[in-house]
Amino acid sequence: MNKLKSILGYTWAFIAFFIILATFFGNERFSKVLASATGMKVSPWYTGGEVISVIDHGTYRTLVHRPVFDALIGEKREGFIQINWEPSTGIPQVIEEKIDYDKDRKEDLLIILDTSTGKATLTAYSPSIVSIERIYRLKNGWAVRIALRKPS
Amino acid sequence: MNQDKIKPDVVVPQISLIKTLLLMLPMMFLTFAILTQGKLPSDPKSLFAMVITYLFINATFFMLLYTGKTDKFRSIFFITYAVLFVVSFITHLIEIRGSMAVSQANMLQGETPFCHIVIPMTLIPLAFTRTIIFPGTIIGSFASIASMFVLWIGVTLALGRGFCSWGCFFGGLDDGFSRILKRPVIKNINFNWTYLPYAVLIAVVLTAAISLSPTYCAWLCPYKTVTEFVEVTSFKILMQTIIFVSLFIGLVIILPILTRRRIQCGLFCPFGAFQSFTNKINVFEVRIDKEKCVKCKRCIQACPTFSLSEEVWEKGKTRISCTKCGKCIDSCLKKAIFFHLKGTPLSGNQRIYRILFLYPAFLFLATLAGGNIQDGMMKIIRLITTGSMFIH
Repeated sequence: MNKLKSILGYTWAFIAFFIILATFFGNERFSKVLASATGMKVSPWYTGGEVISVIDHGTYRTLVHRPVFDALIGEKREGFIQINWEPSTGIPQVIEEKIDYDKDRKEDLLIILDTSTGKATLTAYSPSIVSIERIYRLKNGWAVRIALRKPS
Repeated sequence: MNQDKIKPDVVVPQISLIKTLLLMLPMMFLTFAILTQGKLPSDPKSLFAMVITYLFINATFFMLLYTGKTDKFRSIFFITYAVLFVVSFITHLIEIRGSMAVSQANMLQGETPFCHIVIPMTLIPLAFTRTIIFPGTIIGSFASIASMFVLWIGVTLALGRGFCSWGCFFGGLDDGFSRILKRPVIKNINFNWTYLPYAVLIAVVLTAAISLSPTYCAWLCPYKTVTEFVEVTSFKILMQTIIFVSLFIGLVIILPILTRRRIQCGLFCPFGAFQSFTNKINVFEVRIDKEKCVKCKRCIQACPTFSLSEEVWEKGKTRISCTKCGKCIDSCLKKAIFFHLKGTPLSGNQRIYRILFLYPAFLFLATLAGGNIQDGMMKIIRLITTGSMFIH
């Protein structure tokens, strides 16, 4: 038994060197395997969540993300919805757009974004809309996050 | 026993010059392959930086093997790595973003490099939601999330908490500051403080799971001071900034200087606490030969992460927080402490145990550090020759 333990100890120590080698030389491959095996994604609290609709305006398009209320288990009461406009070259100086994010054929909000000043105004048509949370100037356009609250 | 009266044993585990050179060959080949990645740089400055880095790596490994001293040469390399990592990282950020500050837009676009310290906080949300609570990129970018996970899994299997002394790009900072004074100003530190990192770990893991955000990074990580931090746009972010800068000054600079210990690593870092558990499933350990030991306590005083005490001496091994830095081994005049492989006899060949540990540990350090040392040195050469570290 002691001899077996000893052999295992030496073997593991010897393999440790090759584990380090594989970790670096196979990093790209193993990263892809790990990502696909676990299905890991970046939290929607950072990415804005999946895009659920794209509205084409010719020179630019509007990307409406899904409302994010994600919690560790279930959903939070407070969340947000993110709207992106891209590409930056085709965006007009002032964007004015009504959005129906829950697809009930009723507009939920009107957003007016002045890209020259980076300021926006929001008109809420739905009780879930709270306020503008943040405006982002991105490499390829603009994005706005609007705070939402689930109706009680 | 009075430490000054102890005479060192004559036997020093040295290897002959020929054997050392033969043992160096694989490392020389591998580090050359890693640094060049198949081709030599055409720019003379880059070539010079690469050659210096290559020589530095292999000279360090030579000294590790030939002298039998572990921490002495590891620490020189480790500290250089940490300093040049900071130089390389900050200049890289300023070149691509114009600032060390990370904006909300950068985070939205997943442009934040992932750091290993976040890993313990991501595991519960990953298990429940399959998402990573960090504003980075899963694959394909600099320090992407999946690549850092692979790195962590590899080093955990190979070295356990050895990561903290043979890979962590931050550890060299408090390691460096802890070596400034010859004698500690603060000597008696209550060992109960060693439970603090576990408390920090539990607190940040739970708060991160509840809030779905990496709370340690937002509020406590002192290393943001020398890497990147969130742009101050609100009172809350201002408070967070004051906290992490204060923690950097206290835990990474002042307390390590005064105590001659790695206070951030040993008494605060939640990743270090988390990584301690991986020592349980790792083959390499540090053992004490109680028959040779004269109880001078030099090792207990030398250990930078409080992993040795009189209580654990009774068991003949270190605490699970041991980072395998080798400082206790270097400090022991009787050669009563040594690297060991679990499962093998304590009376086995200590030289072989040490070499089997040094190969993966140093390869990991050299590979992680090589690019950063080379790049940091390149930036310094550029500063000397052009007056600026940045590419205009």
